Amino acid sequence: MKIIFYIAIALLTLSTITRQIQSERTDSAFDIQKFSELPVQVGGRIKPLDSVARNTLMILSGRQYTITPEGTKISSIQWFIDLCMQPELADTYRIFKIEFPDELGLEGLEAKSKRYYSYNDLQPYFEEIQTLYQNLEPEAKKRNAYERQIAEIHNGLLLYNASLQSLHPTGNAERLNRLIDEYQSYESIINQGLDAIKKQQNGEAFDKTLLDRFIAYGDNYLNLSKTARLRIIPPETADQTADQDAALNDLSDWKNVGLELLDVMKGERLSPVLKHYAQLTMAYRSDNAEAFNQGVDAIHKSFKKDFPKAESRVQFERWFNGFKPFALSIQLYVFAFFLLAISWLKWGITLNRTAFWLLTLAFLIHTFGLIARMYIQGRPPVTNLYSSAVFVGWGAVFLGLFIEKIYKNGIGGAMASLIGFATLIIAHHLAMTGDTLEMMRAVLDSNFWLATHVIIITFGYSAMFLAGALAIAFILMALLSKKFDKDKARSLSNMVYGITCFAALFSLVGTILGGIWADQSWGRFWGWDPKENGALMIVIMGAIVLHARWGGICQERGIMLLAILGNIVTAWSWFGTNLLGVGLHSYGFTDSGFFWMLLFALGQLFVIVLGLLPWRYWASPFALSKTEKIKRSEHPKEH
Amino acid sequence: MHPILKFFSSLRLTVVLLSLSLVLIFFGTLDQVEFGIWETQKRYFESFLVVWSYPLSAPAGDALQWIKLPMPGGYLIGGMLLINLLAAHATRFKLTWKKSGLFCIHIGLILLLISELLTDIVSVESQMSVDEGSKSNYSETILDNEFVLIDRSNPQLDRVHAIPSSLLKKGKRIKIPDTELSLKTLDYFPNASLNRAPQDAPDTSPKKPQIANKGLVERIDLQVTPLAPQYAEDAINTATAYIQIIDKNEKALGTWLVSNVIDERFPPQILAAGNKSYEIALRFKRYYHPFQIELIDFKHDKYPGTEIPFNFSSEVYIKDPKGAVKQKALIYMNHPLRYGGLTFYQASFANNDQTSIFQVVKNPGWLLPYISVLLMGLGMCFQFGMHFIKFLQKSRTR
Repeated sequence: MKIIFYIAIALLTLSTITRQIQSERTDSAFDIQKFSELPVQVGGRIKPLDSVARNTLMILSGRQYTITPEGTKISSIQWFIDLCMQPELADTYRIFKIEFPDELGLEGLEAKSKRYYSYNDLQPYFEEIQTLYQNLEPEAKKRNAYERQIAEIHNGLLLYNASLQSLHPTGNAERLNRLIDEYQSYESIINQGLDAIKKQQNGEAFDKTLLDRFIAYGDNYLNLSKTARLRIIPPETADQTADQDAALNDLSDWKNVGLELLDVMKGERLSPVLKHYAQLTMAYRSDNAEAFNQGVDAIHKSFKKDFPKAESRVQFERWFNGFKPFALSIQLYVFAFFLLAISWLKWGITLNRTAFWLLTLAFLIHTFGLIARMYIQGRPPVTNLYSSAVFVGWGAVFLGLFIEKIYKNGIGGAMASLIGFATLIIAHHLAMTGDTLEMMRAVLDSNFWLATHVIIITFGYSAMFLAGALAIAFILMALLSKKFDKDKARSLSNMVYGITCFAALFSLVGTILGGIWADQSWGRFWGWDPKENGALMIVIMGAIVLHARWGGICQERGIMLLAILGNIVTAWSWFGTNLLGVGLHSYGFTDSGFFWMLLFALGQLFVIVLGLLPWRYWASPFALSKTEKIKRSEHPKEH
Repeated sequence: MHPILKFFSSLRLTVVLLSLSLVLIFFGTLDQVEFGIWETQKRYFESFLVVWSYPLSAPAGDALQWIKLPMPGGYLIGGMLLINLLAAHATRFKLTWKKSGLFCIHIGLILLLISELLTDIVSVESQMSVDEGSKSNYSETILDNEFVLIDRSNPQLDRVHAIPSSLLKKGKRIKIPDTELSLKTLDYFPNASLNRAPQDAPDTSPKKPQIANKGLVERIDLQVTPLAPQYAEDAINTATAYIQIIDKNEKALGTWLVSNVIDERFPPQILAAGNKSYEIALRFKRYYHPFQIELIDFKHDKYPGTEIPFNFSSEVYIKDPKGAVKQKALIYMNHPLRYGGLTFYQASFANNDQTSIFQVVKNPGWLLPYISVLLMGLGMCFQFGMHFIKFLQKSRTR
């Protein structure tokens, strides 16, 4: 019986994992996967087109796929291919997410679609949007929800337009079908064109039609160099033996399409990569899979030759994007949580063991995701708000697993999986703003401090949240469960105490290290900056809990309520201080954060109020022992 | 035990004080939105009592601004904590091996509180801005002003007589040190705006009479409109004053309008007193150093294709007043230069990357927090390490 049960769980887990990995296979003759591994330099980093496509679509639609008017679901890279190579098609895809179209005052927009709009849907309103945008509050932080929506649409359209022109000049079907011809004709008239300009300046006779054509190219490419978003042309190495010092590295400047075309006028060779991209588009448009795949291979080969290290990293990043370890972990955390919840009702030990191993698996996948991001970015794991969310969850699950290993009662595991789940969901929502592997500002650019101060502080958050979650479990069980006796209460309160010790230690050491870093970089050990204050508040909160316990000022219940208060303090330190938008640390501002922050705080306060109910409303044997004690002290003579 | 001693050494007091500090820090963070870091720091953490009021700019600010919350300030809480700790150690604690970790933590904490107080009192922060290829021997702070008389008669060296703006009080007379002159402050504004008086002023807006009669106002008729001081992070307050100079014979030499916006962009305002002549000005408070910093090169590198900087660095020479090179240094992010009791940090830049701005900090107690945190860290690791090992042993035997 047990074996069947284990097999069932194993199969379920396996199917979750395989579904995750296989979710984006395409069976087209075009080698889409290879294409999605093509390198570009954007945001200061070399990354695969796949990441660009995903992030762009994420910003525009808040998801990583889109649905064509025919109703087929297509991946972000497929969307990106259509955007660049078949814009006439992509313009009909509904990818602009507009949450409240009726509030915009754009007449007739609401009737067209719900929530998602295509470029063509929006086209009639361009002028209106432009005017609305120009009248907005100039300081982004002060905008209200309506104004933010306008800005979002406006910026979305700009992003769309800039992405559209990433691989080559864009235009109607005729131009896209003859890109190679265009480049050739441009290259062939450059010398004559430059000559004609000279002649014109000297007042000599020149070929007017040729000059006009040449200038038209120049203007067009100049505009392109300003708008094209991606830098797809790597710097060339082959003939630069003279300049050995300027060896290529990840920080060498790449060029966008427009710049590359303009630089041909300076006598530089037109990069073969540019021609390959033109070939790709033409092949794709004429449904020639073979030519397409050849073009992709050619670009890969030259990249591999010049940037061997970056090449494998870029490939890995593409694979990592598709694997989505955090999404997988989320599912497994939920799964583990349910198993544990059921284990309290039935099949205790069997389910408990299974859930433990499931949680361990989820944790390992979570860990893998963290390490993979470190490899891609070449940085310690926490570099921005997104990665801090990933790490807080990781740390809490780590501690929770440890507790579960010792106590084996499912509570540590359940709370750990809950925090793991919640923080990864938060991370998922923080990822909406684009690339989560962005570059570090100079003042933060110190792997030593990132690896010590930031990690330790963030681990302190993990511990505080775990202590708070265990405390919530304590209050709820003591209120409701008939099985929650004195022993269970003692062991749970010991857990909370131990974890709080951990939290206090880590927060204190982390804050101290932060002080030293601040002293090193700003000349102030302590500056009363909001983020510093937040960290200090956690330390003090920890100190309050510990002193209250040592002094016997609070009993179990009081300590639990303080630990839940610790949740609010930690959330404030982590997110709240960023909402203020002041101080040296306010690098990661989030918009709707305020609402969620408030909701979270209210939720915690609600549990605290529950915990303050008089003992007679509590159902557990633990609470009963308390009421008896009170009775005894009230009527001492009866005993 | 005496009840008073008992009260001051009790853990209950510790918990109350810690809770109050939590509240203080929370509101001291919130109010930074309104008043900026500097002002909030003074109000909340360098004070004995502070009253928080519901900010006008917050949601429903009009209706709720009557809400006021008084609370003990940083000095009061910190001082009480210090007393509490010392009293507890004097009465309750016995130094045992088991409690040595706690002792370490508490001694570290005492040291930290003292060093924070010391920093508040003695540390001085200012900024030095240097152009590429030139040098500077002073730093200044935009948070404070001074009134100066500069004697430029010696070509080798200027002689500066400075009076801090805190002494410029309306109607007050002060003797200017090392001179035979004294000054009388006719008016002083911590912040103001200076405008040219309307030329053909219609009678609707009554023209204020010009108080000053010397210096810049002889050529431009400037009017002063007092403003409320600004506290935002980068806000600069235009301190402005009407200063009358009186010579040793009690003869008024004239009244000047001085302001920190009337700076090097304008011709100097000259005061002639007998056979001597001085430049006079109200300017940001300066600190002169017995050495010069020469900026050789400032670098500002960005990640390719972005505006995100990955490096700011300044290559400098430190020279003695005669121009001899004492030291060469590279100041960059997280790598300050410590020289002559001062520390120079790469803080900012200006002027199209041609000018580098350093934060100059004088903090004789800078080592104290390092020692204290070392003690606290060690104590905590020891104390909790012991707990942890005991816990593991217990759970293994169970």
